[in-house]
Amino acid sequence: MKRIAALLGKELADLRGNPAVFVPAVITGVVSIVMPFLIAVVVPHFTGERLSDSSDFRIALEMYRDQPATRALDPEGAIQAMIFQQFLILLVLTPVAGAMSVAAYAVVGEKQARTLEPLLATPITTFELLAAKVLGALIPGIVLVTTCFALYVGGAVAFAHPGVYQTLFFPRALLTIFLLGPLAALAALQMAVCVSSRVNDARSAQQIGALVILPISALLVAEFTNNFQLTSSVILQISAGLAVLNLALMLIGIRLFDRESILTRWK
Amino acid sequence: MACVAALVASHLTRRFDSRVAVADLSFELARGEIFALLGPNGAGKTTTLRMLARLIRPTSGSVKVDGHIGFLTEAPGLWDRLTVAQNLLVYAKLHGLDDPGRAVDEALDVFDIGSRKNDRAAQLSKGLKQRVALARTLLHRPDIVLLDEPTSGLDPESAREVRELILRLRHENRAVLISTHNLDEVERVADRVAVLRSRLVALDTPAALRARLFGSRLLITLTGDAGGFSEMLRHIAGDVRASGPTLSIGVADVERAAPAIVRALVEAGADIVAVVPEEAPLEDVYLRLLAADPP
Repeated sequence: MKRIAALLGKELADLRGNPAVFVPAVITGVVSIVMPFLIAVVVPHFTGERLSDSSDFRIALEMYRDQPATRALDPEGAIQAMIFQQFLILLVLTPVAGAMSVAAYAVVGEKQARTLEPLLATPITTFELLAAKVLGALIPGIVLVTTCFALYVGGAVAFAHPGVYQTLFFPRALLTIFLLGPLAALAALQMAVCVSSRVNDARSAQQIGALVILPISALLVAEFTNNFQLTSSVILQISAGLAVLNLALMLIGIRLFDRESILTRWK
Repeated sequence: MACVAALVASHLTRRFDSRVAVADLSFELARGEIFALLGPNGAGKTTTLRMLARLIRPTSGSVKVDGHIGFLTEAPGLWDRLTVAQNLLVYAKLHGLDDPGRAVDEALDVFDIGSRKNDRAAQLSKGLKQRVALARTLLHRPDIVLLDEPTSGLDPESAREVRELILRLRHENRAVLISTHNLDEVERVADRVAVLRSRLVALDTPAALRARLFGSRLLITLTGDAGGFSEMLRHIAGDVRASGPTLSIGVADVERAAPAIVRALVEAGADIVAVVPEEAPLEDVYLRLLAADPP
């Protein structure tokens, strides 16, 4: 654990010296926050049209108001709550996007900077090395998504109908942000680190790691089109699957990380 | 030189697919010894160091090590965005030192880099980076120090500083193995030299290698023409060459032969200006060894 903490400290210090690497994540976070406010608050305010008058939202409203916790909201508030809930999935992409470039660079970058060989000459194990690399990319992503979520809630308190912000503390919302999000990010990161161990080019690792965005985007689209309800129990099932996937990816990562090959064949 | 082996390499062989990088290499490294590994590019020097540092496995053969190893890689390998102190602190922690902060402070002091401890590694000159890398290599007080091209690309002043640090390691009774192309450096610091071309071409002290290839010679400078004395000296030493005021005399042992030769010259009326052992440059030794052992 001490060696993981030591290398993790290095990773975080390295990132502090290169904050630009998080620009894509910050953009993703800002878009995730701003989009629902545009749809649920800004556009109705400037056009004078209520969301509850739109037929597009009527079916969704009925589905959403089936949930006991939102029955107390007025129709406009219920639709706002629904929109804010649906865009939470987009917020899940923030830590994924944030950490992807960091993780993809994890091993390739060390090799290219010629810092990997002295590192491997220490007693650090492959598990410790990969764990520190993954955590070094995951922790800033989680900090970022937590900050975004706080702003999201703050925005809902300030601009949405009364009571809407409380729906962001429903188990479904909290599980999405603090369980599904980190697990999805972890899977993406581990894929990126695994690929980073086998390729000479960070871009290849980024491209393959970014594939995790596809199922998350599919969830988002399915929710928007009302084809799918991401309930707490569904989130827990997906999370369990992701936990198993993460364990498998960790084991695969350790097997794929061939120290000799990295040292002797990469130029 | 001490005689306790800190590292024993036995019949080390390493193949990469069909290519043999190192073949049947055996040697011992003693505490308090500086051992130089010489060889052309691709001779297997770095592969040997990596096997000794346990970074890669030998295809066959073994390495026995008595103590901790410190490995200075060919590139300094510092994290550019971290400060000097941060770079060292991470390694102190990775090595599990009891008081990493104090170990770093000591290293900064010993290597005289304390004034730059808060500078980012990217801001350092190549020589300073190498000094920091050497400090990092020695943080955990290794008994055996492996140095891959430690002065490569350094200016003469920085190279000298690194050489002085290497010599200090011998005084601390550590076993030091240097891989280098720099023959002048070997001349200045190495107790023994191994010439490698995938396999071991030669291994001995620089003086013994010279004697083996070129024999021992004594160089005597006179005030006038030396030609008149050469015939007389052939009774004492068979191989005598005269050139202007200089006599070059082949002897079995310089220290034993010199007094008798000088005495004979003085008795014959020669005015002697200088008497020095004639040493073939190590470069000549190295090139002759490689020429005698083509790839």
